[in-house]
Amino acid sequence: MRRGMVIDLKRCIGCYACQLACKAENGTPPGVFFARVLKKEEGQYPTVRQLFLPVLCNHCEEAPCVDACPTGASFKWEDGIVDIDADKCVGCRACMMACPYSNRYYNDGPQHYYEQGATAYERARVSQHQTGVVMKCNFCRDRVRSGKQPACVANCPTVARYFGDLDDPNSEVSRLIKERGGYTLHPELGTKPSVYYLPP
Amino acid sequence: MNTSAPEFMTQRDDTWVPSTCALCYGTCSILVHRVDGTAIKIEGNPDSAVGKGRLCGKGVSGLMSHYDPNRLTVPLRRTNPKKGIDEDPGWKEISWDEALDEIATVLKRVRAEDPRKLLIQRTTTVLAARTPLMAFGAAFGTPNMSTSGGGLHCGNGAHLISGIMHSSWSIVPDFEHCNYAIYFGASKGHGAGHASASNMKLAADARARGMKMVVVDPMCNYASAKATEWVPVRVGTDGALALAMCNVIVNDLGIVDGPYLQAKTNGPYLIGADKLYVRDPQSNKPLVWDTSIRAARPFTDVAAENMALEGDYEVNGARCQPAFQKLKDHLKKFTPEWGEQLSTVSAATIRRLGSEFAREARIGSTIVVEGITLPYRPVAAIAFRGAQGHMNSLYNFLAVDLLNHLVGAADVVGSCLGFNPTCEGHPETGLPHYVPSSDPDGIMKVGLWMGYHLPYPPGKAQMPEKTGLQDVFPMGMCSPFLESDDQEEFWQKFELPYRTEVMINWGANLLLAIANTESVARALAKYKFMVSFDLFLTETSNFADIVLPDLGYLQQLDSRTSFPFFFCSMPGGMGDWSWTIRQPVLPPDGQQRAFQDVLMELADRVGFRADYNAAFNATLNLKPEYRLQGDRPYTWEEICDADLKSNFGPQRDLEWFKKKGVISWPKKPEEIYWRPFLDVRVPIYWDFLVTLGEQTAAIAEPRGVKIPREYYEPLPDFLPCLSHCCKTPDFDFFAFYYRDAIHTNSYTMENAWLDEAAQLDPYSYTIAINADVGRNKGLHDGSPVWVETETGRKVKGRLKLMQGIHPEGLGIAACAGHWAEGMPLAKGKGIAYNELLEIDWNHVSPVNLNLDLCVRVKVSLAEGSR
Repeated sequence: MRRGMVIDLKRCIGCYACQLACKAENGTPPGVFFARVLKKEEGQYPTVRQLFLPVLCNHCEEAPCVDACPTGASFKWEDGIVDIDADKCVGCRACMMACPYSNRYYNDGPQHYYEQGATAYERARVSQHQTGVVMKCNFCRDRVRSGKQPACVANCPTVARYFGDLDDPNSEVSRLIKERGGYTLHPELGTKPSVYYLPP
Repeated sequence: MNTSAPEFMTQRDDTWVPSTCALCYGTCSILVHRVDGTAIKIEGNPDSAVGKGRLCGKGVSGLMSHYDPNRLTVPLRRTNPKKGIDEDPGWKEISWDEALDEIATVLKRVRAEDPRKLLIQRTTTVLAARTPLMAFGAAFGTPNMSTSGGGLHCGNGAHLISGIMHSSWSIVPDFEHCNYAIYFGASKGHGAGHASASNMKLAADARARGMKMVVVDPMCNYASAKATEWVPVRVGTDGALALAMCNVIVNDLGIVDGPYLQAKTNGPYLIGADKLYVRDPQSNKPLVWDTSIRAARPFTDVAAENMALEGDYEVNGARCQPAFQKLKDHLKKFTPEWGEQLSTVSAATIRRLGSEFAREARIGSTIVVEGITLPYRPVAAIAFRGAQGHMNSLYNFLAVDLLNHLVGAADVVGSCLGFNPTCEGHPETGLPHYVPSSDPDGIMKVGLWMGYHLPYPPGKAQMPEKTGLQDVFPMGMCSPFLESDDQEEFWQKFELPYRTEVMINWGANLLLAIANTESVARALAKYKFMVSFDLFLTETSNFADIVLPDLGYLQQLDSRTSFPFFFCSMPGGMGDWSWTIRQPVLPPDGQQRAFQDVLMELADRVGFRADYNAAFNATLNLKPEYRLQGDRPYTWEEICDADLKSNFGPQRDLEWFKKKGVISWPKKPEEIYWRPFLDVRVPIYWDFLVTLGEQTAAIAEPRGVKIPREYYEPLPDFLPCLSHCCKTPDFDFFAFYYRDAIHTNSYTMENAWLDEAAQLDPYSYTIAINADVGRNKGLHDGSPVWVETETGRKVKGRLKLMQGIHPEGLGIAACAGHWAEGMPLAKGKGIAYNELLEIDWNHVSPVNLNLDLCVRVKVSLAEGSR
């Protein structure tokens, strides 16, 4: 099994619901969005389009971050999810240098949004994250193991995201990639991402 | 700061509570995950049609608004009697008893003197607040109630005309079946607006199915970014483009839906030289020309197919023509070349768009939906705030909607739909039930409405009782006269017999939402006494005498969060009806109290609880057995319980709804595609506007207020904005405002996650202009600039150069620009677009009072910068 995601850029409207649903699921500290949306224009006025590109950890098959990690903290589960064992992470950030997609974040210390200190929510959620370690998207592994979809997939208002087994040729994700010409970001790097995009 | 629930628990608290979002008026159904007294996650509720289990970025971020430590937790009283933007109110903590005592004393005096001296002002964001506040105002005896204000967030044109033509608050394509949609300054299905989260999926489904979408907009973002074709337009000229398209369809192509126009519009009604219906002397009914007997007869006596739409006739010695003939002749002057000159859209494009729209309508075709054969017109022309936010608000929106009516694409399969204007109710109780009906002229009246006044028939213009002067301008909804520079002048001219002295504000931040702060501040400072229910100390609450700490949406109870807003929050088209509630997930923090209970306590202290109960009975339309009795002091819980049982039966009480959160049942094709089933007509010719113009002029002109009658003609025209008339050198941009997908009005800039996301977005907090135009002026991405109007109002911000914006356009998102210390995250974020807007009679539509939202500006590098 190799878990992967397909993002349909025809359906995506760049509304940031994935970015914020991910934040809500993971309770990440200020400045950290495991899922993001990039905006870019293509063309010249008046023949111009605005393109939206949602990005997240690509859970690469040949993950350079895993190779770069000196302690074994960055590792790959048997289902292909690339994860970090915070207890083993020493915060050297070699993985961040290695990730060509800039989808890893360093949690450098306890943070909160308001001058007054951490809120009840932040105490309950954000403080769960160890500090001095690197953090990233793990395809909402706990949700997935309990039979749910990753938060960004389950919540996407346009139903632009699909999640499934890339190894199964009959899965929805495999079918979509085949039928719609799914592609990955920077294939020339040889990282073999598990996040595919369908053309807008 | 809001803290955890204080209950002592022996068991671990781990529950999902069904409720309703309030980050915008979409009011999506939510599930809130609470663990040990702390809410840790908000998700969409898949059991509800409102949101369908998926939330927008704002909805999933609600916990940041709730847990914001800047939330108000105690009642405050100002100690500084001076009110002004730079005045420190000198807040002092007071007890609820002191606060209510002082408020009640003032209200008691005012109610005895003249209850009209009270204005009830509320935000649009939390729709459910409407019921208790409206009922309070009605019971108190004031006609002065205002929602959000006269400015950016209300659609005097969009709501009025959607009401008259579709019996709904707004319009949307039938995404499931539409093949060709053309949007004019609207974003429905692309991040904001009514039923925003639900519509996003429906629009994506339509896109995947292959619906062609043309978006007419000065800026290529949101809807236009996803369009099959983006048509950049000069700001404020959507109406000209639509009129030219109508002309192409009617006069060049001759493709109209004759049977629809005959049966469902006033197109066949004969119009005399006085621009009014020719009426039957006996019955007073409008006459039509009966082609079977070649004579004029009342419209009720003639089969629709025999009603003439074209021709010249003589009736009782006077010449007359069917309204459609009038429209047809009227449209001839709107040539594509004329349209090009105004809108900058080429004549060839206008011809092509008109032709595509008419041909894609497939006039005459039918389709079977759930076993019922229905008309099939898979095209929709949709407008919203962008197109109608101008002095020519009314005609601009009407011109766009005429496209639909010419080809019969109104509330049938695939067409432009009103949001749910017909409801036959839950199968077990038949409630809620509302259906449009016709007036004696056969013209449609809405089955349900939400505020100000019914859209049709318009009231008779009369001397004012309301400070907004909507009595003089009966098409007006939100009024500029609550804040305008010339309010006193107009009140004097129209002999308003009193002045408002007291404002009860519920959550509206008028200083950011209406127009320039100087004008709005001047108006606010005039109130002798102002009470504000707020979540934060906003710029506007700093003008209050007493500020009351309100409950947030995760602490509130409300029995009807989707009703009567079925045409705001419920997606159009087939699917389910869902009646939803809001319930407390978390307890009040500090001294926060439910405003509904506070209003009831005030009614008790002032002594009008019986009136308040009666107003609740009326507005909730409670069945006899659930009506509130006499002056009995009910709690808000009890009223919510009565409301639910009255609509859904004794078993489905508040406790039932607290467990379920929502009750859903399937929509029927007859409800959604209602047009062929109801014997109602809509006006493609607005004879009533002529009468209204005469009435208003008769009052206004002797008092020195000239009523420009070109705004009161029965057929739409293009009337330029003031910005189109500006010829001053260097003022070469039309500034406009647009909605951001992650911000609601001025509220959400204080939400930590939304603010953070907006800071990462290239456009949310910047000023967008065309890249080539900018570079030619020596401006760069990130340049700090001043944007200045002819009258010297100016705002500063950083530029974002982009290709996807009309060379004359300057786009600014949302109602940003906070300065209050009470909203520290929001402070200084984004651009205060409203600062550029004048607010007076010269800047509003003289017919529906819509403030003109575009303004001519010049851009210059801010001092000391590159």
